[in-house]
Amino acid sequence: MNLNFDKQPIDILQALANWGLIFGALLCIGLVIALILSVAINPKKGVSRFFENLGEGLRDLFGMSLKRLGAITNLTIKEAVRRKALLVFVVFAVLFMFGGWFLSNTNNRAELQLSVYVSFVLTAIGWLIFPVALILACWGIPEDIRLRSLHTVVTKPVKRSEIVLGRILGFIGVGTIVVGIMSVLGYVWILRQVPEKVQSRLVARVPVYGSLNFRDREGQDSEAGVNTGDINPYRSYIEGASKARAKWSFEGLSPSVLQTDPDSGEAALLVENSFQAFRTHKGVIDEVLHGQYTLINPETNLRVQLPQFPIYEFRQNLTWIPQKLAYYNEDTKKTETKDLFDDLVSDGKLMVEARCVDVGQFLGMARPDLFLRLPDRPFASSFFKSVFGIWLMMVLIVVLGVTASTFVKGPVATILLFTLILVGTGFNQFMDDVLSGEVRGAGLVESGIRILNHGNPIVEKPESLEESMAVQNVDQVFTGMLWGVSHIIPNFNMFSFKAYTASGFDVPMKVAVLPALLMVIGFFIPCLMLGYFSLKLRELEAK
Amino acid sequence: MSENAVIEIRNLTKIYRDFWGRPKVRAVNSLSLDVKPGEVFGLLGPNGSGKTTTIKMLLGLLFPSEGEIRILGKPATDVSKNEYIGYLPEESYLYRFLNAEETLDFYGRLFDMTTAERKQRTDELIKMVGLDKARRRQLKEYSKGMTRRIGLAQALINNPKLVLLDEPTSGLDPIGTREMKDLIIKLKEEGKTVVMCSHLLADVQDVCDRIAILYNGELKQLGKVDELLASQDKTQIVSSLLSDEAVNEIKAVITKHNGTVEEVTNPTTSLEELFLQTVAESQARPGQRFVAESEKAANTTTVD
Ligand SMILES: Nc1ncnc2c1ncn2[C@@H]1O[C@H](COP(=O)(O)OP(=O)(O)OP(=O)(O)O)[C@@H](O)[C@H]1O
Ligand SMILES: [Mg+2]
Repeated sequence: MNLNFDKQPIDILQALANWGLIFGALLCIGLVIALILSVAINPKKGVSRFFENLGEGLRDLFGMSLKRLGAITNLTIKEAVRRKALLVFVVFAVLFMFGGWFLSNTNNRAELQLSVYVSFVLTAIGWLIFPVALILACWGIPEDIRLRSLHTVVTKPVKRSEIVLGRILGFIGVGTIVVGIMSVLGYVWILRQVPEKVQSRLVARVPVYGSLNFRDREGQDSEAGVNTGDINPYRSYIEGASKARAKWSFEGLSPSVLQTDPDSGEAALLVENSFQAFRTHKGVIDEVLHGQYTLINPETNLRVQLPQFPIYEFRQNLTWIPQKLAYYNEDTKKTETKDLFDDLVSDGKLMVEARCVDVGQFLGMARPDLFLRLPDRPFASSFFKSVFGIWLMMVLIVVLGVTASTFVKGPVATILLFTLILVGTGFNQFMDDVLSGEVRGAGLVESGIRILNHGNPIVEKPESLEESMAVQNVDQVFTGMLWGVSHIIPNFNMFSFKAYTASGFDVPMKVAVLPALLMVIGFFIPCLMLGYFSLKLRELEAK
Repeated sequence: MSENAVIEIRNLTKIYRDFWGRPKVRAVNSLSLDVKPGEVFGLLGPNGSGKTTTIKMLLGLLFPSEGEIRILGKPATDVSKNEYIGYLPEESYLYRFLNAEETLDFYGRLFDMTTAERKQRTDELIKMVGLDKARRRQLKEYSKGMTRRIGLAQALINNPKLVLLDEPTSGLDPIGTREMKDLIIKLKEEGKTVVMCSHLLADVQDVCDRIAILYNGELKQLGKVDELLASQDKTQIVSSLLSDEAVNEIKAVITKHNGTVEEVTNPTTSLEELFLQTVAESQARPGQRFVAESEKAANTTTVD
């Protein structure tokens, strides 16, 4: 099983800068609106009230008491438990008692079967925890206000910040219990369901990726290979027996990437590929295509060609490259021995060039289709990182839900958040594409004019539009706002790591886990502030 | 207007508004009064006269539409004042899934009390309100009076300087009522200030030093209970075991001194009379508001 997407690690500094920009902008807008409202409500003392509240807010947010937080957190957990929120386990149990019947399909290849089980467990945990988190978080504070039990609490020396944070932590606690128990049960279930012969496939592969360049059939550098007519441009193809090459450059390699080759017992580098074949003719029936690697030292340009290897599609194609390499040197016409790290890797850099051997056939590849492998980690590592992703999303739902519920009543908060999740799951990709210019179209105003003129986006811009700078400027403002909005609506897809786990990879920290974690923190801070000020500045009277 | 008043209310007005900000009810109207340290202050008034609204504003649960409040020298919205306040709401708004012990422990934690302190205080209070047998039962199983009792225990968890009781005796049995009154007197003896709302005039008369009567959100009467009840032009003689003969003799003495005998009865709960009279007067002459003597000098108009 292999990945069919290519995610780059995020640039943490850039992410922080974006966050700072949006947070700062919203904070300023919020403060200005608050000041205006404050003056409008009370012209005489508005300004001083505003600053008093601001000062108190800072004190309340930074001076929370752990004991009071603990008390409210504890209360929240007790409430959920005694109100039988944990009945969700019953649903979970039922799902798993019978799930096995529907999921086992002996016709499937073993590894596919395995991936079905893993996906099922992770999906089930997600689908069960999210509604629980959503409803608990959205109804907690509004119910507390409706039943007026909050009156007895806020007339104690409790800061409103402690109420908001305590509630958030409490619901996170409940969610953690649920996710924790379900994931352990799910893990055990997978281990028991998976057939004996593929147990060894339950691992977390740790890939090291490089960057990919192509050379076309004439040997010229090019950005991509050939498109064989696939609508999805993810993989690009190189032609067999031509000068076309795919070239991966790796960086930061050290001898720690070496493992022991189980056949020879020697230290070796493990390279895996998941190239796809595209045949323009049948070729030899029952014969697979062949590829060939050449290792290149990017500094000295030393080239070492390795033996050809068969490419089995949809399977792991493993090549062990021994550290002590014996190869046939075309120039000296002699067999020579080179050391992988002394001769081929310089400054931690190494290039691997791949070619297709068969005439008239093509090999397709994307960046993640060739990677070096570090020693495998246990399956649990990958599985529980995926669970951590689910946990993070649960946390985000709780944070957003509690915040929404300080403004509006339970049902409204639930619907709001539900909509946000839908939009954040589906719409985000679209907006990213609009912003990166991948979706063809124009700005809001320009599109409007085109619609009125019955034009479509492919048609050249009418003269009048071309000249009208005003339209373009206004559209730029809209695009800027859209950029902001696309960052405010959380991308909930970010939290799903199951593609990695289900295809037998470890979940990469920098590419997957860290961005998700940062996202949650990024929302947590402004939400806490919003929720606090909302509770502080409103009357806690049920209307 | 003493400097060290525990509660100072100035021109307090509360208008309830609907979602769109349109005024619905004027629940409290230009209310001004002070509560002095160590006194038991009673807020009286018919249903819907704004007693609960006033108390909620004192606690910062509701925001005044106009006017100012200082409570223990701090604004009503200041959270730190709650350290010294105990509040028994109109109905005990507690967490019904907790049991008595857990409830008190929870509120104790909110005061940052240590475990040992909480344990000791919880024990004391549960015994005091007579819930020892039900201490491990969840509040949802409690009867109305039991809920009231645990509500009271909760209000006293921090040994407050100022206790606000909204209808403390509602739902209590006669023994409970008696105990509640004893407790209020005990609190007063301990030097605490108590503010209570009630309809039960006999109870108020028994324990309150001063009372205020609200009608339609306006202050109609304010003063010491005995002063308010003392009618200057009437004299009441209370005696026990008086024979009919003696009564006739006394009547004769009164007639001799040109007095009129209006009636000879057993004394009634006269606060009830005052209350009914105030309400009747307020209905007859709406808009007339009680103004303190000191304010009268500065502000001669009493009618809106
Ligand atoms: N949340 C609210 N929204 C709108 N109006 C309210 C609200 N709470 C109280 N009121 C109104 O304010 C007025 C005063 O109510 P309040 O509860 O203060 O009376 P009260 O003196 O405590 O009465 P009771 O003796 O029945 O407890 C009433 O007319 C009531 O209808
Ligand atoms: Mg009331």
